Parts: sequence; structure tokens; C-alpha cells
Amino acid sequence: MGRPRGFDETEVVRAAAALFARQAYDGVSVDDLVAHLGVHRNSLYKTFGSKRGLYMAALRWHVDNELLPLVTAVGEAPDLPGAARRALAARDGGSPLDLLLMAAAERAPVDPEVAAQVARALNALEETLANRLPGGSPAPGLAHALTSALLGLRLRARTSPQDAGTAGPEPGAAPSRTATSPSGPDTVPSGTGTASPGFVDAEQAAVVLASYFNSTNTDISR
Amino acid sequence: MARVQIDGDTLTVVIEGLDKLWALKSSLSIPLSNVRGATADPGIVMESKGIRAPGTHLPGVITAGTFHVDGERVFWDVQNAAKAIVIQLADERYARLVVQVDDPRATVALIENAITHA
Repeated sequence: MGRPRGFDETEVVRAAAALFARQAYDGVSVDDLVAHLGVHRNSLYKTFGSKRGLYMAALRWHVDNELLPLVTAVGEAPDLPGAARRALAARDGGSPLDLLLMAAAERAPVDPEVAAQVARALNALEETLANRLPGGSPAPGLAHALTSALLGLRLRARTSPQDAGTAGPEPGAAPSRTATSPSGPDTVPSGTGTASPGFVDAEQAAVVLASYFNSTNTDISR
Repeated sequence: MARVQIDGDTLTVVIEGLDKLWALKSSLSIPLSNVRGATADPGIVMESKGIRAPGTHLPGVITAGTFHVDGERVFWDVQNAAKAIVIQLADERYARLVVQVDDPRATVALIENAITHA
């Protein structure tokens, strides 16, 4: 409507998405929003109507500007392990999947509009993975299971302390990363904090899942 | 203290007890189409409330009545900040209502569900 806002709405929405990716919806107070987004309380209400209004704007923006581009990148990966690696890439300890995970667990069950946004992102990822699968007609449910596996791997990466990448290893002490896969190479040199520890696991999971489905032709998703 | 209810397409805010006197108002009726959202917001009582006209303002005790802030008219009826909710309106006499309700979480859900499924 051309009303001057006095702040950059996109910037506020982007910052809100980052905040809601880290903290539970109910745990984010309006005081938190005002403090973190650099916007006055009255402007916040005037622009978004409510905390939920801001949350919906942030989630829609995130799906359009973070998740769908990620899905495109996943689709352009050379092979399935590469696709898994791209899907799980983290920057500064965060992934575009984080807000999706939070929304799916918290708000989607009680808010149909949130559920619709979550479904939009998940369906796009699933469709893209289905097209990336080797073989003309993959077993039904494989893309579904792969999507679920990727989300699960991201969930676990978030909960493992080494993902925080803050505590540096003590010289001479035992390696702090104890959760590396038993057969895979230890990919992450301790202390760099740039690589994500989930990559090798994810690539292996993708290959194992794909071969399992293709050999047994079963559908565990239903 | 206020009681919020939804009757058909109308949101009704009933001001209860002596608050009617302090706020100089006993109820407000708003078409749901003019309700933009509701938020539990205990922290809003720390904000500047602007200029009171008319109503009652004993800082830290009660904020009730009509206040003018940033060129907007805001209705207040709050004694206990922990139970304050903000109802944002459009095309109404008031830009927003800040009222104390018995169960902020349930009231916010009631309003948000009513306007998103309307």
C-alpha cells in the first residue's frame, strides 16, 4: 500500500526465519523478536498482524528463497551421494532444513497453513530425489524414504555436540568426534569447523537405501 | 480483565468487573475480517503507552482506556502483564487492543483459528 515502514521487511523476515530455525515457536517472545530483528513493537504488529503472521511470512520466504533453491541444487548433483551431500550441507552450523524440521515437529500438526508450507518443501525435495535415482523405475517409496533419511540425518547432526564446532580439541587429547561411522574414513579434521560431520554417513545412507530398495523392491514407507 | 469470544463473524471483547469504570468501556465488537491477528505479549507493558485520553493509568498497577501512540489509537485493559494479549485490527477505530485475559494461549489460538479458517 506504499506506506513507509522505516525498516527492510525482507531483512526482518529473513532474520525471523533464522531465529525460528534455532528456537521453538513458543519460546520466541515478542521481546525476543523486537530485540533480534531491530524493529519496533508497534511496527511489527502493524506490518505482520501477530507473531504467527510474522512466522508465516518467514516460513514462506524461507521455502521460496532457501529451500527451493537447495532442492534445485540437489537435483543438479552429479550422482545420488552428491545429492545427499548437497542436501545436508551446513553453513555456520545451520542448514535450510532446520526451519523445516522445526516447523514439521512443532507447528504443522496444529496449523494447517504451516503444514501446507512444510508439504510444499518436502514434496519438492522428494520429487527431485525421485528424478535423481538411478534406474528407470525405482521402487515405490524410495524417494520418500530417502527424504525422511536426509531429514533424520540433519536432525541428528543438530543434536551432536561436535556440530556446534565451538569447543576446540585439547592438544594430545583423544579425538572429540566419537560418532564417525565405523567403516568410513574420518573426514573431518578436528578444529576446522567447516566440514559437516554428516556427509559420509549421508552418502552411505543414500547408497545403502537405494540398493536396498532396488534389490528388494519393497516399500517401507507405508 | 477481558473476556474474548467469537459470535459468528464477530469478535467480542467484554470488559469485566470494575475495569469497565477504569476503561470507560464495557465491550467492543469487531468484524473478524478486520482482525489481523492475536499475540500473547507480556513484554508490551514495558513499552511507552503514549498519551492517555480518556482512561486510567496508574503505572505498574493498571492501564485502561484509550491511548494515542505513534499516531495510532490503542485500547488497553491490563493489570497483570503476564496475561496480556495484543489483538491487531485493520480499518477500525483502534489500531490494536491490548487486554488481559484469563488464558492467553487459548485466547490467541481461538482468534488465530477463527481468522485463518474464516
